[in-house]
Amino acid sequence: MLTGAVLCPATPLLHPEVTGRDAVVPILRAACARAVTRLLSSEPDIVVVAGPAALTGEWDPAGRLDPSVFVPGIRRTGDRSLPPALGLGAFLLDQAGYTGRRRLQAVGLDEPASACIQLGMRLRETEAKAALLLMGDGSARRTLKAPGYLDNRATAFDAEVERAVRDSDLGALQRLDRRLAHDLLATGWPAWQVLSGALQDLAPAADVLYSDAPFGVGYLVAYLKTRL
Amino acid sequence: MSASLSGGLPDPPGVLRLGRRDFPAGHLVVMAIVNRTPDSFYRPGLTWDPAAAMERVHEVVAEGADIVDIGGVPARPGDEVDVAEEIRRTVPFIAAVRAAYPELVISVDTWRHGVGREACMAGADLLNDTWGGWDPRLIEVAAEAGAGIVCSHAGHLPPRTRPFRVSYDDVVSDVLEVTLALASRAVAAGVEPARILIDPAHDFGKNTWHSLEITRRLGELAGTGWPVLVSVSNKDFVGETLDVPVDDRLAGTLATTAVCAWLGARVFRAHQVRETRHVLSTISVIRGDLPPARVVRGLA
Repeated sequence: MLTGAVLCPATPLLHPEVTGRDAVVPILRAACARAVTRLLSSEPDIVVVAGPAALTGEWDPAGRLDPSVFVPGIRRTGDRSLPPALGLGAFLLDQAGYTGRRRLQAVGLDEPASACIQLGMRLRETEAKAALLLMGDGSARRTLKAPGYLDNRATAFDAEVERAVRDSDLGALQRLDRRLAHDLLATGWPAWQVLSGALQDLAPAADVLYSDAPFGVGYLVAYLKTRL
Repeated sequence: MSASLSGGLPDPPGVLRLGRRDFPAGHLVVMAIVNRTPDSFYRPGLTWDPAAAMERVHEVVAEGADIVDIGGVPARPGDEVDVAEEIRRTVPFIAAVRAAYPELVISVDTWRHGVGREACMAGADLLNDTWGGWDPRLIEVAAEAGAGIVCSHAGHLPPRTRPFRVSYDDVVSDVLEVTLALASRAVAAGVEPARILIDPAHDFGKNTWHSLEITRRLGELAGTGWPVLVSVSNKDFVGETLDVPVDDRLAGTLATTAVCAWLGARVFRAHQVRETRHVLSTISVIRGDLPPARVVRGLA
């Protein structure tokens, strides 16, 4: 059974060793920490971290991000091949003091919606109390200075994602066009599909803790609690 | 990384031949940026007007530039500049500079073979490709024209795109692999080895940490035996290092320039030519490659 789900951005800026002397996104970091704390308050037996990667597959649950892939020169730790989205999710759990069971599930960027939704549904079919930490971002084309430059469709796209999450409108998440998400460099698309499958018929109540694009990439932090 | 992996190094080692000039090993070369664009990142539009651009050429030559680098397309994303427009912006100007300065080394900042070909016909000596050989025919143009080429590492990005969470197992290894492969291709295509440079291309497909790492380990690039070009002038990695805007990065740029020079870089692409020339001459004198200009104090 699924107790709840959290959406967090998979930006390397969450990691303190990445941003230099300035925290850069302290409010975002705090929002992610609050969301994960709330997720863990239901005392799950297992937390599943799911996030985008080149290929679908499970990773060693002990896997940890090696920030030296972004920050050469610091000590090499962790698994350099672990998809960063999963590594960042693992990091957030460590920061929150979670020492229980976890599963690291990569979702391939080319997976069709149906596969992602089914994956989400399978994740909740466990006797154990499970919680879901989904890593992924909105469009990286929000502004002229964005990593992906500006695409005029990006803001409206991210606004629709936020609305769908806020209203727990899982159908709307499933209607998000995959090709458009790809064009807009919205890496969260697989995560939203997994979320919609996992929370189907569980009537979740959603709380959006953060929604902004300070660097032209849409960051959304949300906590969805299931009502059973 | 062994220099022999790339093969075809110039003989004697250390000679850098561009246009009609031979730069000996100890000579640190300044490449002055003259952008024929309305929207480059540093002082946009400064040399958009052709008369202003020619004035700037006179200025940088007087300040000690060895090479003038003429580009028509900004590195950052923006309105499309097609081949015809890029040629329009750069080629007649290259011809005018060549007419005014028969011996000056002229490079054209382009990744496109069509532009490169026209530029060489107008008098360009060097193809400064910052996008890592994105157009595979550019190397052929260099060979056909007897021009030089810069073999750069752009982090596998298409031209005019920004890095988005780029990661490397070892950025310097990746830089070496890419640039040495391009250099080998250039030799095989018939480009004269003495006219080939490698460039780690700071900030291209790299975050600030990556750009700092390639600076710190510049010696590994210089150790390949290929002359190294660095283009650090006023770049964002300098800005992020010091938290300063574009127009306040001179000191950080010069510090990075001095480090790269000390670690073996040969060619330095710069906006502020006079200051860069001073830094490089000081490095050469400290190293003993060049005597100081005039010594009297304490010896009279």
